[in-house]
Amino acid sequence: MENVVETLTRGNVAEVKVVLASVALALGVYQLAVIAVGYGKLSVPFLASPPALKAHRAVGDTIALLLLITGVMCLSVYGFEDDMATHAIAGTALLAVLAVKVSVVRRDFGLGRFLPVLGISVFALLCLTWSTSAGVVLA
Amino acid sequence: MNRPSHGWQLVGSLAAAILIVVVAITVVTLKFGSTSIAEQEAREERQEQRLDAQEERREATEDRREDRR
Repeated sequence: MENVVETLTRGNVAEVKVVLASVALALGVYQLAVIAVGYGKLSVPFLASPPALKAHRAVGDTIALLLLITGVMCLSVYGFEDDMATHAIAGTALLAVLAVKVSVVRRDFGLGRFLPVLGISVFALLCLTWSTSAGVVLA
Repeated sequence: MNRPSHGWQLVGSLAAAILIVVVAITVVTLKFGSTSIAEQEAREERQEQRLDAQEERREATEDRREDRR
């Protein structure tokens, strides 16, 4: 798997990972604004709640895919390194909470009322994961 | 003010997301610069090979001088 990732990124694994994570973070910020419109917490003249909710879902699927790819790249090339413990824990927690959120969105399980908390948790974990790796590289 | 249809609002929202992706990729790529790590490593490797070759030539020249003595 490591060789596949190295080949696909032409040896620039860290750079590609930073770009993917940064795109996910930027879209995450956008998601907060869009869902605020979707839940009626924020009112803008050019966007109603139903299309905002649909956009949130579509962009969220994209972010989930980006995070999954980034996580696979990270694990296959770097693994769990001792000096990156915070990043590893935050990244693992991020993917776990994201999986729970996607499950609740698709199947509900009577947990729909927790979606805002799950969404904010995903964003907070994304910020922590990004800042302990991509943020350090870009600083 | 009349809002566009929900379909157009959705298209606009997704277009804004694509714009954010483009801006994020551009900003991060500019931060890295145009030279990739792979290119930098290849350049360093070529430089090391040049230095090694120079060193070998120098040693060969010194050996020849000592042989003549």
